[in-house]
Amino acid sequence: MHKKQTRDIFLFILGGVVLYFISGMVDELRVYQGASIAVYVIAISSIILLTGYSGQVSLGHGALMAVGAYAAAVARIELNLPIILCFVVAVLAAAIGGALLGAAAARLSGPYLAGTTLALAIGLPSLANQFSVLGGEQGLLFDVGFPPLSLGEEFTQYKWFFWIAGLGALISIWIVKNILGSRYGRTWRAIRGNEVAAQLSGINIARSKILAFTISAGIAGLAGALLSMTIGTVSPSAFPLALSFSLLTGAVISGITTLPGAMIGAVVLVAIPEVADVVAHRIGSSEAVTTNLPGFLVSALLILTVLFVPNGPVEQHRARKAKHLALKK
Amino acid sequence: MDFLNTLLIGITSGSIYSLMAISMVLVWRSTRVVNFAQAGMALLSTYFGFEAVTKLGSFWIALPVAMIGGALFAALVEMILIRLLVKHSSSGPIAGVAPIIATLGLLGLIRASASMIWGGQDVRIIGPVSNDGFTINGTTLVFSPLKLLILITVIILMLILSIVFQKTNIGLALRASAYAPEIARLSGIKVDWVRTLGWALAGAAGAVAGMFQTVNGNGTLSPDSIEFSLLLVSGFIAAVIGGLDSLIGAVIGGLVLGLMISFVLMYISSGLFFIAPFVILLTVLFIRPQGIFGAKAARRA
Repeated sequence: MHKKQTRDIFLFILGGVVLYFISGMVDELRVYQGASIAVYVIAISSIILLTGYSGQVSLGHGALMAVGAYAAAVARIELNLPIILCFVVAVLAAAIGGALLGAAAARLSGPYLAGTTLALAIGLPSLANQFSVLGGEQGLLFDVGFPPLSLGEEFTQYKWFFWIAGLGALISIWIVKNILGSRYGRTWRAIRGNEVAAQLSGINIARSKILAFTISAGIAGLAGALLSMTIGTVSPSAFPLALSFSLLTGAVISGITTLPGAMIGAVVLVAIPEVADVVAHRIGSSEAVTTNLPGFLVSALLILTVLFVPNGPVEQHRARKAKHLALKK
Repeated sequence: MDFLNTLLIGITSGSIYSLMAISMVLVWRSTRVVNFAQAGMALLSTYFGFEAVTKLGSFWIALPVAMIGGALFAALVEMILIRLLVKHSSSGPIAGVAPIIATLGLLGLIRASASMIWGGQDVRIIGPVSNDGFTINGTTLVFSPLKLLILITVIILMLILSIVFQKTNIGLALRASAYAPEIARLSGIKVDWVRTLGWALAGAAGAVAGMFQTVNGNGTLSPDSIEFSLLLVSGFIAAVIGGLDSLIGAVIGGLVLGLMISFVLMYISSGLFFIAPFVILLTVLFIRPQGIFGAKAARRA
């Protein structure tokens, strides 16, 4: 066990170094997209923890991301906290929100929970218009400042975003991976598998579910703060219902129980608008088609994945290999 | 006078939510799927209705056209998507969430397609009667002939539906398949077709809700409009408040929701438009997690 952990730490550091070199080689747009991928990886891993492991569905993670983003921006503007603390505030605020939501969620199951979180995703961002401290429809500025001078003159703003987001992604994946491998991860899987049996073995169902929601929300809050960092502002329109849906799509494409798959889902989510753009130009279509093609592709991909690779490509591959081996014997 | 206005507006919009909730309940009872695409299907049927209005010129011809279109589309969705889903994704960790995710995908697909086809033009449906309020003793109410008409039509449709459910063989088959599919199959009911029928009825009910929601609003139709986001959330919330399993629950859930939203907007703040349904839903679920009319066991099904 100890040896495996050393290997994992080594792998994560290696991942960081590779990302560092890649960020030096590609142009600004790609660096920006890299930052988006990192944000999506964080958000998708929060969904994998919640839905894949504890078996609770949330269509409201966009709203929890908004909570994190607003908390970070307010901490930055009103309290003038250093940037690292702003992200901590984001995680804590979203986790508190998640704990409240989780307390409600523990009483609900399946479709009831999905609908409640759906209502939250639609309702919460509009609440920002009610409080002047949150800046209404225009939102708030969220400025993490320029990259430190010690990184050199050449070091661009987007590269700085990418570094922060990439580091955030590595840390979050590291934490989520360890939680899922711990007692809590096993507890959640037991609950997902059979709630009654889990209860009989002495697991406190409600407490475990609320814990899952709290942790997942905290991670989503970090993703929200990082997302608004790359955009530069926090406003209700940055967290539409479509964001919550995309995250769920990303998680399903990744394979709802495969944490390393989060990378696949994140890349697909960032790549789809690009692909749609190319396709739209190739067929020379009207504006209505061009703007809606990404949404169309995401939805189509979601349906096809659920129908034909329901447990994700990685899991599917593993199952096929296992079957193959069994046949050989 | 304010009070009367608020009450009448609440009942009218509530009756539309009731219809939407009924369509959710019909689908839930027939296939145990909460159809998040229901509002999307209603949207599509309303576009069918719009095409019919522009080509044929009459709202009263367009309404049945939208209903038939909606019913056919819903039946197709059940036959293709839902049957495949049951076949492929009924095991593994995805099983619990697969129907939710698939219907959400369908919602996205419908919205994107509708925007592609009709997005470039100004889509407008004019109601069959005026939406200017009645005047009593010199004061003008918000309640209009159109709202009265909506209310009457919805009540008639609900009566027809309850007669179908309680008095006919089809209704009996629908109830039997929902209650005990195995036993229904053994007694010679073609459960698969009954399920498709349940979806078709839901599609028709959703079509009426979509048409009325459009003319009751400002008449314009767009996949991104507030009216449809509201239909999406309200239909679901009304069904859940009522208990997902009960048609009467759906009607009452819709009316409760319509009235509550209307009173909150009037007497507290109009900025609470989207957060009010959420608070109402949470309040009801905290008191009764299975909804007002839901059976205790239905929550786990």
